[in-house]
Amino acid sequence: MLITCPYCGPRDVIEFTYQGDGNRERPDPASQNFEAWNAYVYDRLNPAGDHNEIWQHSGGCRAHLRVVRNTLTHEISSVAFVRGDHTSIARRKAEGKS
Amino acid sequence: MVERQSPLEPEFHVGSHGNFEHGVEIILTETRPGSIVQLAAWPGEEKALISAIRTVTGLALPDGAGGGLSDGVKSVFGFAPGKFTVADEAEGLAAAFAKVVTPAIGTVTDLSHGRTAIRIAGPKAEWVLAKFFAIDFALPAFPVGAGRSTTHHDVFAQIQRTGADQFDIYVFRSFARSFWKALCHASEEVGYEVQ
Amino acid sequence: MSPRRTDTGGRIDRLKTIRFTFDGVAYTGHAGDTLASALLAKGVTLFGRSFKYHRPRGLLTAGVEEPNALVTVLKGEVREPNIPATMVEIHDGLVAISQNRFPSLAWDINAVNQLGGKLLSAGFYYKTFMGPVIGPLKGTRFWMVCEHFIRRAAGLGSAGSAKDPARYERMNAFCDVLVVGSGPAGLMATKAAADQGARVMLADLEPRFGGSANWSDETIDGAPASDWARRTVAQLEGRDNVRLLPRTTVWGYYDNNTLAALERVTDHKEQPGKGEPRHRYWAIRANSVVLATGAFERPLVFPGNDRPGVMLAHAAERYANEFGVLPGERIALFTNNDSAYRTAVALKKAGAAIVAIADVRTELSAEMRKLAEEVEAEILAGHAVVATEGGKALSGLKLQRFDMANGTLTGDARSIHADCLLISGGWSPTIHLASQAGAKAEWNAARQAFLPPKPTQKWIGAGAFTGSFSTAEAIAEGRAAGLAAAGGTGTPTALPIVEAVPGDPDPAPVFEIRAKGKSFVDFQHDVTAEDVRLAHREGFVSVEHLKRYTTLGMATDQGKSSNIPGLAIMAEALGKPIPEVGTTRFRPPFAPVSIGSLAAERFGDLKPERLTPMHDWHVANGATMYSAGLWYRPMIYGHAGETVEQAYVREAKATRESAGIVDVSTLGKIAMQGPDAAAFLDRVYTNMFSTLAVGKARYGLMLREDGLAFDDGTTWRLGEQDFLMTTTTANAGKVMQHLEYFLDVIWPELKVHVTSVTDEWAGAAIGGPKARQILASCVTGTAVDNATLPFMGIVRGEIADVPVMICRLSFSGEMAFEVYSGAGHGTHVWEALIEAGKPHGLVTYGLEALGTMRIEKGHVTGAEIDGRTTARDLHLDWMLSKKKPFIGSAMMDREGLIASDRLELVGVIALDNRPLNGGAHIVEEIDEANPHGSIGHITACCYSPALGKHIALALVKGGKARRGTRAHVSDPLRNRFGPVEIVSNHFFDPEGTRMHG
Repeated sequence: MLITCPYCGPRDVIEFTYQGDGNRERPDPASQNFEAWNAYVYDRLNPAGDHNEIWQHSGGCRAHLRVVRNTLTHEISSVAFVRGDHTSIARRKAEGKS
Repeated sequence: MVERQSPLEPEFHVGSHGNFEHGVEIILTETRPGSIVQLAAWPGEEKALISAIRTVTGLALPDGAGGGLSDGVKSVFGFAPGKFTVADEAEGLAAAFAKVVTPAIGTVTDLSHGRTAIRIAGPKAEWVLAKFFAIDFALPAFPVGAGRSTTHHDVFAQIQRTGADQFDIYVFRSFARSFWKALCHASEEVGYEVQ
Repeated sequence: MSPRRTDTGGRIDRLKTIRFTFDGVAYTGHAGDTLASALLAKGVTLFGRSFKYHRPRGLLTAGVEEPNALVTVLKGEVREPNIPATMVEIHDGLVAISQNRFPSLAWDINAVNQLGGKLLSAGFYYKTFMGPVIGPLKGTRFWMVCEHFIRRAAGLGSAGSAKDPARYERMNAFCDVLVVGSGPAGLMATKAAADQGARVMLADLEPRFGGSANWSDETIDGAPASDWARRTVAQLEGRDNVRLLPRTTVWGYYDNNTLAALERVTDHKEQPGKGEPRHRYWAIRANSVVLATGAFERPLVFPGNDRPGVMLAHAAERYANEFGVLPGERIALFTNNDSAYRTAVALKKAGAAIVAIADVRTELSAEMRKLAEEVEAEILAGHAVVATEGGKALSGLKLQRFDMANGTLTGDARSIHADCLLISGGWSPTIHLASQAGAKAEWNAARQAFLPPKPTQKWIGAGAFTGSFSTAEAIAEGRAAGLAAAGGTGTPTALPIVEAVPGDPDPAPVFEIRAKGKSFVDFQHDVTAEDVRLAHREGFVSVEHLKRYTTLGMATDQGKSSNIPGLAIMAEALGKPIPEVGTTRFRPPFAPVSIGSLAAERFGDLKPERLTPMHDWHVANGATMYSAGLWYRPMIYGHAGETVEQAYVREAKATRESAGIVDVSTLGKIAMQGPDAAAFLDRVYTNMFSTLAVGKARYGLMLREDGLAFDDGTTWRLGEQDFLMTTTTANAGKVMQHLEYFLDVIWPELKVHVTSVTDEWAGAAIGGPKARQILASCVTGTAVDNATLPFMGIVRGEIADVPVMICRLSFSGEMAFEVYSGAGHGTHVWEALIEAGKPHGLVTYGLEALGTMRIEKGHVTGAEIDGRTTARDLHLDWMLSKKKPFIGSAMMDREGLIASDRLELVGVIALDNRPLNGGAHIVEEIDEANPHGSIGHITACCYSPALGKHIALALVKGGKARRGTRAHVSDPLRNRFGPVEIVSNHFFDPEGTRMHG
């Protein structure tokens, strides 16, 4: 599998580290909402199809990437720097992109 | 000034090795720059940092990811968004940058001891490097001056192409001897010379 | 001795004689021969014994799909089993032996298995090893004894145990177009793509490019096809943009057009060149792929179809035309399609007599009749072979009238004398790679074959692979594929003109002749047509189950020859058409792959390792090195005659009495720079860092998001916006990723840069009552007294003209300092410290003494921060700030994490004065016979010179409340039981008076 890092170009998956479900939203650090924390730490989507994932190019530029990968075909439809991603998760959800 | 010890020393054997009877196709050496620094810009400050690099080194970085250049004495290349590696034959680069890279622009990290620079040159340089790294070393894909960040197993490497058939590889010092041994081993089939 | 070498023809070099041995017998062959062709030329017909029944087997094929002639090649002490003799290129000194026979190939004792054939039918193991047996040897235990003998009798070659000294390498390659297969289609594709300027790679598993052009009797552009192929290859060889890989099997097709290939670089050489690898594993990333992998000819299934002398038709053509070897003198053919007629023509031309052509079809085309007449063969249309005769070689066969419509045999059997029977059951495109790439094959009724699916990845098929079996089609498709793969359009020029024997590519739908006797479907695994039907009768209806139950198409064969006949017989048994039964998905590898090539340069001495700046000093000064992850660290600096325990006790004792020095360069070090660094640290650590003064260090604890302890270490404030974080050696990488994740993903607004500077600094920790004196005697530029350098203070100075940074902190519990210098100056500073320490009795100490002193102090490491413990479990709750949220703060107070019966850190003292073991359990009551009732376990242990006792740290249920009570250690694995006292984890100097001085 290859992931096209926006900085380094297409690289073998061996250079990347999976850093989890990209749909999680971390509660406010001071939040005492235990349900929200529990969901953030433990709840994961497991879709058969497009999945919004975080990958780190740990064997390259070390940037974190937001990768949309089809879990059935491994087809990657988009890759972007997490840092440059100004759309909030909530908004992406509203737009049905996640 | 106390000389720095090379991590390669016991495994650094000057001369021709391997299948060299027909001539060597690889030249390996340690470039031992006096300074290696890492520069990192805050978002939006990349241009200011690039101009600081020009002020200190006289090198004008080209645009684009992984862009870089070398004048044979000083080298610079991008290895990550907003991040650059600069090397100089002379010492004192970190101090020089500390004067121009203000806290508003970014940070300067001295890695002069922490990284070891190994140069591989010769007609078979691309061939030997392809044994280690899953990146495309062909000239159109990896132009002269450009930099790349990649890994060989656990060995993280920054590679700058400093000639049509010459590459400078920056590895963590602790891994340097192990990587050097592997590089020599991989060069045996084409014959190599350590200089 | 009927097979023989022809006087002329073939691509072998008759002037070059090669000497080799097979089963200890010396043979000669010629350059260009395979082991198969060379032995066949010498009249060898018996190549191996079959898997279960030990039936004699000869060559069925001439290529990679060979199921019978598997041999073991010996190179020195190293043996490589199960290589098809058809894929072994002979060289001087080659030593090969046959397999699965005892005592010899010709006289095999286990051949009696044939008589009890029913016993070894499908599912033999499943059925046999489950049944209860009455008597003392009841149940599976008895069968486990038998299995040993049965497994010995049934099998392939045995693997060796000698260390393989060969070199293996991995190569990474990138190209625009990868062409797999170098027949006319592959060569045309390569040329077309290369003409477009694309970077092209061409791989073929054979040593010689050309594929069928090497053995077909066809002409291309007026010249023999083999000449055309040679010319085309010569043109490609000279081009910079083409890489040619002969002897290279593309065995895996993975996501994003990543393909795996194995190049056999030196297997065909007597001696590899200096530094030359035996195998190269190519990882190829191709923009597009041209699959021109051709097709496999299928055997027909009939009784005795496995007798030596029965061979696939095209294989005989290859032996005759490519190697100049006739597989027989009186040859009969048995076919369901036209391609065998071409074979007859070729063999006749090479000098064999064609005695008969039996064809299951009654209606034959005029063209085929004409060809049969040309070769002076008797045509037996509407006939089938029902038996073969002979022992270790074929002597004759029996035929009967055959009705294709219903499969019935009628009339008297007729005998024909022949020493070779060539069979053709039609052709199956070699779609393995396309299948691996992800899509399902499609059944084509006309071709009676599965054709490649629509691509789900970027590949284009060409030639026989697509079901286009003629060379003219292959050439046209190959060029089109190469052009398209390179993204070119190209002006259509004239294609090379092919002259070939005509023929209909579609076979008759006949796969099996049902008559009395064993009819083999899978030659390699001895699976018969009856086994397939038995599996059906026993309820196996899915093709995937069928495969596993009968072992059809498993092992090295992977269904190359057996797939379609097996499916056809299954489909017939089910009463379903073949496409409804479906086919199994092909998986990598296409052909066996050496494990060495996968391990490649990560193996042995080339394994990456990390060395500290003072590594060579340690080794030169008697250190026993110990691998800790990738790092190498001194374990002890032993004196002559000392045991490990004596050495570490001496080192620890001397440190507490005077001073000791240890290399701590492996600690993870992260530069944390930027205006928000302090704020970030407050979020990362459980305790406060923004209040830390410049020039001071603080011990910090990190939790994971789920509230469990993650890592600990000290962080030094070097400047207002400049921190140096240290981590444990083992967690350095993980902590770095943790920090990067939060900075990139969670808090991108924080202006902080993190950089690994582990390798920038050499670290030496010097501790003990004399440590300060020693430092004071060698440090210049700063004082190191209590006022200048208080506990957790940092100063900069010089040692032996080298700049150093000194932080006063302690892991040993002594007055101690960590001295950091540039890594390139590490040994220089270390030696200066050693020199300065000489008058004060300074010793070097290793990991064992380090561990001993930390156990005495009750400090935690990865053994206690094991991913299951909380800060409270480790009595570090004093570090949990209540003034701020931090990573893990929201989750750390969950019910289960604050329960009173959690495992908590305690100290343990052996009351019987015997050593304790890590991992041993702590119990309330000893029960040696039936160990149970664990209340915890030991995480670290040592002999404590400070206490004069065997002590340990342990995690024990409700540990704190148990202090002062007795328990027992229960270690049934090492038979260590005995009483212990549970105490505080702070064994030694709990007030810390020594380190505070």
